[in-house]
Amino acid sequence: MDRDVNRELLKLAAFEGDELEAFLPRWKFTAEKVRLTDKEIAFAIDTYIPQNWDIKYLGVRKLIGAYLRELADIVSTPQLKEQGVKIVYGILPAIANYYYAAKNAGGDGIFIGFPDLMMVNTLNSFFHSAAPFLYEAEKYGFTYGCRHCPLNKMRVAAYVTGTIAAPDLIWSWGFNCDEGPKTDEMIQGITGKQWKYHISRVPHDSRFDEDEATMETRLKFMSDQMKLGVQAIKEATGYEITDADLAQANKDIGRIGFKVGMLTQLATTADPPVLGGEVLTMMQQVMTVPFNTGFKYVEEAIDILTKEIRQAIKKGEGVMPKGTPRVGFYNVPFCVPWVGKYFRDNGVIISFSHALTLSKKQMSPSKYPNDPWMSAAEAWARNGMCMNLNGEANSIIEKIETCHPDGMILGFFDFDRWLGAQQKIIAKLVQERTGVPSYYIEADFWDDRDYSPESLKTRIESVCQIINARKAQQDAAK
Amino acid sequence: MKEILQELDKLSSARPLDIIKKKKDGKKIVEYFGDFVPEQWITAGGAESFLICKGGDPQPPEATLDYMLRFMNPLAATMAGSYLLGLDAVMPIADSVTIQQHDSHYGRMTEILEYKGLPVYKIGVPADYTVGISREYYRNELREYRAYLEKLIGHPIADDDIRACYAKTNRINALLREIDELRKKDNPPITFSDFIRLNHYTLRLGYDTSIDALTKIAAELKTAPGAHKDGAPRILIMGRAVALGDYIVPSIIESAGGAIACEFLDEAIRPFHSDISTEGDVVDAYASAIYDDRVPQCIFQPAWETRFAHLKELIRDYRIDGVLWYQLSFDEIYDMEFTCLSKWLSEIKVPVMKLETSYEYSREAMAPLTTRLESFVESLKEAK
Repeated sequence: MDRDVNRELLKLAAFEGDELEAFLPRWKFTAEKVRLTDKEIAFAIDTYIPQNWDIKYLGVRKLIGAYLRELADIVSTPQLKEQGVKIVYGILPAIANYYYAAKNAGGDGIFIGFPDLMMVNTLNSFFHSAAPFLYEAEKYGFTYGCRHCPLNKMRVAAYVTGTIAAPDLIWSWGFNCDEGPKTDEMIQGITGKQWKYHISRVPHDSRFDEDEATMETRLKFMSDQMKLGVQAIKEATGYEITDADLAQANKDIGRIGFKVGMLTQLATTADPPVLGGEVLTMMQQVMTVPFNTGFKYVEEAIDILTKEIRQAIKKGEGVMPKGTPRVGFYNVPFCVPWVGKYFRDNGVIISFSHALTLSKKQMSPSKYPNDPWMSAAEAWARNGMCMNLNGEANSIIEKIETCHPDGMILGFFDFDRWLGAQQKIIAKLVQERTGVPSYYIEADFWDDRDYSPESLKTRIESVCQIINARKAQQDAAK
Repeated sequence: MKEILQELDKLSSARPLDIIKKKKDGKKIVEYFGDFVPEQWITAGGAESFLICKGGDPQPPEATLDYMLRFMNPLAATMAGSYLLGLDAVMPIADSVTIQQHDSHYGRMTEILEYKGLPVYKIGVPADYTVGISREYYRNELREYRAYLEKLIGHPIADDDIRACYAKTNRINALLREIDELRKKDNPPITFSDFIRLNHYTLRLGYDTSIDALTKIAAELKTAPGAHKDGAPRILIMGRAVALGDYIVPSIIESAGGAIACEFLDEAIRPFHSDISTEGDVVDAYASAIYDDRVPQCIFQPAWETRFAHLKELIRDYRIDGVLWYQLSFDEIYDMEFTCLSKWLSEIKVPVMKLETSYEYSREAMAPLTTRLESFVESLKEAK
């Protein structure tokens, strides 16, 4: 290929000047490690990214750059480990604050990251190219037919292919799912004890009439589990995570949370719509997934994008016409970004994600202001995704009342026996209680190999037709 | 033995009707799932207990599809699906449906029952069973359950009554162990099909009925001839469960000339190797026996190395020729364990066959299933 696609890609991702020249060799190394061919990179530059991401905004391009940098760090872990850097991984969902606190404690002596998520996310969101790794995991025993989580598959594949180093510790949170922590046991089983893990587990034992955030014994148990996790990091890395480290992490995340909240508020209320929910969700992710590169690059993207969005609103310029109906998602499938495009093609825009939008309860003051562990457990229990089905339905309903979507889309978690299993009932409950049409779509958030555009197109078209018709009726009635 | 089993089968089938009658007489009814629910406490309190352990029928799992993801294991789905289809006569009249919460499949299926307004109670079972805080958490869950049960039945449950129930189930365990021991003979005098049925009956029937029947059967089997052809390959069946009613696969193996001499199952079988102490604190006695000190279930962590070590002991003690991995479809954690276990078994050169079931035993499905199982048995015979 005559084109220097790697350079083109970095330019698209808003790298320039010396920074671009300095990063280019690292990126080439990264592309090779994650098996991206020039052809795939060219496809991303020419088609996939422009088609699915609002790259007219510099902030969005900066965001892509931030993810490319993170990917580069992840594939450098084998070298970092050789240099004596301590490697700490985690899995989703977890409280990222502890990992950031570990980074604060260890600085360059410690690497933090959720490598499986970052690899699936970056490769599929921008290049549509995670599949070769997922096939690799299937060869290693993560059977195709059993519907395993693509993130867990990626973790196995990334390690067995030598793309990532064995961690000094992976702290696997099993507060939600069973498969995540068990994956680490499986990796040990098939590759050996050099893959070191610590797990935190909590049973799903709250009833519909119970509020997890007020179940003291359960909260105490979770907070104790978190203490054990932090202790395990200390033992594995030698770095003591101090209260100051944690306080700094909390402060940083609080600052980002405020900025993202502002941006979300601007974007979800603008008419005409100025931005799709995919970008917002990927920005929000820096608060729930630790970035080894820290907040710097994503925060810069947020700041720039916020300015751009304000200007767009002022000028009345949107990415869709005024009055476009909006849908909320359980979690916006940003790793299958063509889903958002299909909604737009059918006159509907994805506006927000339940999973990463904070509820009033989440934003209200803690009952445990002087106990950071209990406060963290309480924060976890206040998150809709961490509640029982009834609590989660109520949390979604609250967000519907705040964000006013014209429809809700559930599903896209067919691989998850906890977060994906209950969504059909939630769709029923939400529709019954709010009147907002709610649909369940069986699909995979991370990996579209089983759910091709062709198979989902008809479903999305039908959903959009109903949402458009309902919105038209409501507008006519006004 | 045949007559005794027939009688137990009749009594077991009549148990729901018996419970309905008792409900009319004012008894409290507790339907429950799982070993981590101390059934002895329900009985000690004077309520009627009824274990959820049915499987083997594809229709109940299908009935859950309007509510749940389709990639759920069919046994957990049967629990909710049987209620939805009206196939569980006890659940609609139960004063409590108590379900252990040890994995996501049961967790979410329990929520269908809650959604339908049933009086669900959950007992949390942390998977990291070796951790001190988890052991204490489970004990606390048990203490809360006792308080709940006492409120439900309207009076305190005496420790001595609980211990008396422990003693009875220990006696049942001892008799099952006695029978199990006979399966180490060259030609086991009881088939797995009968042994697992026997387990299921004892889980459904009263203690004394079970003790009486098991005593007679144990005595009879001591001098009984082998139940298989001489030299039949000895197979161990391993997986989550062979549920009540899910007897097709074992019977095909036995018809093909295989002897399932041993099982390694997590659910729908009495934990007959785990006696509960009749001394000291009743909560601690239960938790120690059933949670702390038992071979861990697949979902627990860490588990698989310990389970493999136990499997090797079983292979040695029962002189096993091959392992049948009996997996429920979409049971993702068992699927992952199999990946490790098949690797480790190949290192010690023990043949293993993986069989997945969605409880689909239609005529179309039976032919290839039978062929696979027969081939497995034949290959073990040839290797013997």
